[in-house]
Amino acid sequence: MKKLRELLLVNIFMISALLAVIGVLMIFIFVAVKGLPLFSVVSIKDFLLSSDWSPSTETFGILPFIIGSFVVTFGALILGTPLAVATAIFLAEIANPKVRDTIRPAVELLAGIPSVVYGFFGVVIIVPVIRAMFGGSGFCIMTAWVVLAIMILPTIAMITEDSISSVPRMYRMSSLALGATKWEMIRTCVLPITLPGIINAVILGMGRAIGETIAVMMVIGNAPIIPVSLTKPASTITSVIALEMGYASGNHQNALFAMGIVLFLISTSLVAVVKATSKRMA
Amino acid sequence: MKEFPRYRVFVQGGGSSVGIEAAGTGAAQIGMTSRELKGEELKSSLRVIPVAYDAIAVIVNPSNKIKNISEDQLREIYTGKIKNWKDLGGADMEIVLVNRDEASGTREAFGKKILGKAEFTKDAVIQPGNGQVRSIISSAKASIGYLSLGYVDKSVKVVAVDNVIPTIGNVRKGVYPLHRKLYFLTKGKQNALTQRFIDFVLGEKVQKDIVSVEFVPVRHK
Repeated sequence: MKKLRELLLVNIFMISALLAVIGVLMIFIFVAVKGLPLFSVVSIKDFLLSSDWSPSTETFGILPFIIGSFVVTFGALILGTPLAVATAIFLAEIANPKVRDTIRPAVELLAGIPSVVYGFFGVVIIVPVIRAMFGGSGFCIMTAWVVLAIMILPTIAMITEDSISSVPRMYRMSSLALGATKWEMIRTCVLPITLPGIINAVILGMGRAIGETIAVMMVIGNAPIIPVSLTKPASTITSVIALEMGYASGNHQNALFAMGIVLFLISTSLVAVVKATSKRMA
Repeated sequence: MKEFPRYRVFVQGGGSSVGIEAAGTGAAQIGMTSRELKGEELKSSLRVIPVAYDAIAVIVNPSNKIKNISEDQLREIYTGKIKNWKDLGGADMEIVLVNRDEASGTREAFGKKILGKAEFTKDAVIQPGNGQVRSIISSAKASIGYLSLGYVDKSVKVVAVDNVIPTIGNVRKGVYPLHRKLYFLTKGKQNALTQRFIDFVLGEKVQKDIVSVEFVPVRHK
């Protein structure tokens, strides 16, 4: 009896774990089956390298969206990472327990806010500010940067703080005992040890930024053109899929699924590249 | 509905193409569209029921001094040839162009009437609904956009097209150039309730008291 129960439980846990794998496989197969037929109509080269996207005339070139996704993601990382790392250093090394216990829950709360709320916040607050500063409509790449930077801040800050806190106390003590000031101790002792952790945090932030859809769609202006100016509207892969999936049919729908494949490949290869380089550094 | 407390009608937005798709697949009993069916859609044996005439209003920010735009000027703006308000006799500021997404029947009707065979410039802010267009125009000084007359409110300024202001009267007389029909779509035989709803909307009461406030009724004028 006991043995049977044991066996049952082991299997239940295994099936739970397998379900996740099956889920990933099903999603990938489904997206591939819906997306690949497009390439009998449009060549892969035209699809990836043409900048003309106009579904009503069956022209599907997604270069503007690939560039848009990269520009938006890296801009958000450049804005968000220093902020997040500084937040983490402050929480882990500088703040006294009372301050830390007020700020940390607030940062954690930031991670739990639904992305549509960020989008709404972007439209109501960030768009008018950017419009007042740079003119134009305010629906542009720079607005997307700011909104995304706030969205990825908690992810990067929390993971960085964890890895800073895991640096043994002894190292800090030794560093201070050798006459280092607090800042020297953080810079020469804590941060180098934490670097792989920070890189991991940035990868996760990047994953969130490149996949973020609704908040970006609400503020970026959705123009299907290669970004020429930071204060002009543009599109990302995800924003186009979200905007057009509701009504797309036929080749247009296949093209959106094919964009899903491209997004999947981009995000997995980005993660692989960053992981490989961080391993070499460690 | 107040008059029929036992019944509920669920309405979902998304643009004309969504309405056509939903009626075609049977996801909705009635699809709503502001454009004619085309291509594959014509083969889908959908029944097309006109329910109202609608005007498309061209709107600008209330701070804009422009009062009238010609159809030619509109075409040059929306194909990207005119880029500054000073070319239209306004202030020296770059035009912020607001357009609808490709699912929009309003975009389709506007494009057909104003652009003809020319194509929209891609250098525009794309928004997925009339409400979003209105909200940008009401806050961005240099913006211009277009939307269904029913969505116009005090937060935006309507400009005349070829010296005709879009009013229900002008649409009825046929002098305002930008107008189109609004349709219900059904597939196959509807159930009794759906038919009752359609009859209700086409009935004298709704056409006269409700439809005529923002649109031009197709019946009981």
